[in-house]
Amino acid sequence: MLNNFKNRFISAIEPDLSSADLLPDKFPYGRPPFLQLLTADELRASANHNVRPIIVPRDLNLLPWGTGYAECINSGKSKWNEDQAAFCRQVLTDPEKKYPDLPYTYFGIFDGHAGYGAALAASYQFHDILHEMLVDCSELLLPRDEVNDNSKSHQNPTFPHPTYFQRRVSRDELIIGALESAFFHMDWLIAQDRNYYRDAGGCTACVTLFIDGKMYVANAGDSRAVLCQRRAGAGVAASVMQSTADPNKTQTNPMDVDNSYPTAYSADHTPETERERLMNVARLKPQLMGQHYVAMEYAKRPHITDMGKRILCRQGTMKGWSYKTLTRNDLRIPVVNGEGKRSRLLGTLGVTRGFGDHDLLAINTGVQIKPFLTPHPDVRQRDLSQVVSIPDEHNEDGDYGILVMATDGLWDVSENDAVSRIVFQMLSRYPKEKHRYTMAAQELVARARGKINDSGHWRLADSKAAATVDDISVIVIPVYQYYKEHIDWTHNDTRELERRRRKAAEDNMAQEAVNDFNDIAAEEAHVVEERPQQVIAKAEQVIAVPNQEEERQKEDQHVLSESEETLVEKPNDNTPLQARLKTVTETLQQVQLEARAKATLEENTELSAEATSTVTTTTSANKQRNNRKGKGNKQ
Amino acid sequence: MSYAYLFKYIIIGDTGVGKSCLLLQFTDKRFQPVHDLTIGVEFGARMITIDGKQIKLQIWDTAGQEAFRSITRSYYRGAAGALLVYDITRRETFNHLTTWLEDARQHSNSNMVIMLIGNKSDLDSRREVKKEEGEAFAREHGLVFMETSARTAANVEEAFINTAKEIYEKIQEGVFDINNEANGIKIGQQATPTNPALPGAGGAGGAVNSGCC
Repeated sequence: MLNNFKNRFISAIEPDLSSADLLPDKFPYGRPPFLQLLTADELRASANHNVRPIIVPRDLNLLPWGTGYAECINSGKSKWNEDQAAFCRQVLTDPEKKYPDLPYTYFGIFDGHAGYGAALAASYQFHDILHEMLVDCSELLLPRDEVNDNSKSHQNPTFPHPTYFQRRVSRDELIIGALESAFFHMDWLIAQDRNYYRDAGGCTACVTLFIDGKMYVANAGDSRAVLCQRRAGAGVAASVMQSTADPNKTQTNPMDVDNSYPTAYSADHTPETERERLMNVARLKPQLMGQHYVAMEYAKRPHITDMGKRILCRQGTMKGWSYKTLTRNDLRIPVVNGEGKRSRLLGTLGVTRGFGDHDLLAINTGVQIKPFLTPHPDVRQRDLSQVVSIPDEHNEDGDYGILVMATDGLWDVSENDAVSRIVFQMLSRYPKEKHRYTMAAQELVARARGKINDSGHWRLADSKAAATVDDISVIVIPVYQYYKEHIDWTHNDTRELERRRRKAAEDNMAQEAVNDFNDIAAEEAHVVEERPQQVIAKAEQVIAVPNQEEERQKEDQHVLSESEETLVEKPNDNTPLQARLKTVTETLQQVQLEARAKATLEENTELSAEATSTVTTTTSANKQRNNRKGKGNKQ
Repeated sequence: MSYAYLFKYIIIGDTGVGKSCLLLQFTDKRFQPVHDLTIGVEFGARMITIDGKQIKLQIWDTAGQEAFRSITRSYYRGAAGALLVYDITRRETFNHLTTWLEDARQHSNSNMVIMLIGNKSDLDSRREVKKEEGEAFAREHGLVFMETSARTAANVEEAFINTAKEIYEKIQEGVFDINNEANGIKIGQQATPTNPALPGAGGAGGAVNSGCC
């Protein structure tokens, strides 16, 4: 027991000694699967602390949407790369198949400390937990057929009587809730494992979820997600400039004009930024500080000779400063000390949210640190359907943005705006290449890592300043590519809903026809006794076809008028008229295309086979359309 | 698998000359006609025997495209051997050798053994660079020369093994300081107790430092 305690204590300050406790690893060390570093030799070569090779995926098709990734190991502070990254694509389905599916994509980046265990566990397990949480509320998340479903929603069991449940919970809140509870669950899971497996240490977590046309970024710790955007104009102006090729104007090449700008989608959680929360914990539970710490901050570190003197300080959660007479208790170590990147909680830890660290003890004092930490993430959301992007400007990447998720290895030495500038520089350098986002990721890592000088120090290339000696991991996500995928999926989805609705209507009508026919047939029963069923089928066909035709025309008009209505009704909406008109015509085209495909099919198909063949036709029509659309985009 | 020495190699040369294919042929004994562009760096490893000693080759296969040059340069560091590859069916890849050589000499340690390789010797009908030209270039710059074919595997083994032999000889002559890892040579496990067994591999991860407590 004492040994165990001692080992845990040691592991807090010297992770490499933690191998002294003989518990096994829960997961064997490795790099993210999409890098395909499969052998021990490759792992060892990639962990070369002297060269710090920049690793990118061998097969670019493993990540969706051409998403870029690059990483590089630290300069020797830990033997293995303690960062981890993960992604996962999943589909939420209704077990009863009442609603269409809802696909989602998740990316995660985890920066480990005091060992690689926690980050590794998160990269292996987080997506399963998140999936569970999303499935939990999938009944409320799945897209539904509002036309047919209105009646049912009244009896929806998840919205009980107002006296029990007064708030209407939005989809947004459900997804944010799923993310939050997944964070807590992940932390709990690591806690459960600590008695069976080697001390996992801790890790930060920065997670992005793309679902239902929106982007959710959840962050706990000091990794960061920054959305890099670019105002329209730069790219277009530059290509015009190139075509005119006026040598006098090359000096003011608009390519050099930096039109990019970053938006942070996460806030770092360090002892400095979380000072108020930490002080509150200390104030409410002073016993957590033992006899060693004080919830106080001094302008100047007090010395024993200052006893009885008045010194400038701020107590607890105060924002301003005031004087106080120094007593013996005030000589204890402040709960939070240091500034910026150097700020430390209990003189030990530089990050205040994340997973793990359940056994972490403060240096020298052995005070438990975990009570001050929390896995609770901040979640920020971006609704991509609100993005304004004018097709003629070809600035989709700039309008929708490129999401850069990276561990502090990048952010310690790179400002947000420099990152967004570099991203767009690289994208314009590689305008068409499949690996353009990977190049951006690689460039960001290369710059942050810098070069090693003769005395063995890593320096930034453009200055003498120190480069990062930490592990660096960077994910570069083209958000527009997700949105495009989402739109395609929604179209298919709408079509699927329409198909179901129409089929229901047809079934009703066919039933009526059959009934009518039966009446007639009953009258002539004595003549046609031995006739096969095909007669009935034929009659159905005759009656059903014109009806469908009518139905379809009605629907076309309906779609059009509906869209027109929205146009008129929401003049203040952000979406530009052009884009909206495009959607309307697109929808119309689809409906027409579908109708045509179906009509041709019906001419030479037996009615009995219709149900199945409609499905196949719809899908093949979808494919055709997608192909066309793809070609259109390329042009 | 224990080894007496580990040598780090780097493969360099223009894009499309067959660097990745040479590596694949040497490590996996197979040829892949269509190979994706190498964007970063890829690693291969194989054990060979020289003078009755087990030697592990750790090979870094780099991206050849000009755009990647600045990143690739940092990988010369700590390489004991380099394979400088050109394509005998493309004259310009031969013309660029001087630039590659300058780069290599500037960023590597001076003892690095460089082997010049004219690849695609199976495509003799489309040959643009004569074997004699390769030999002459090698002689002029003090390199070892060989023509190989990653497709037929001709001379591929020899290229890697002869380079290793040369490095091994330099070690015997005392030219390389084998205690300085920056030279791209590592002494095998029997001499260095710190040599890593991967943690978790076979559950032996913790055994290395188990001296304390």
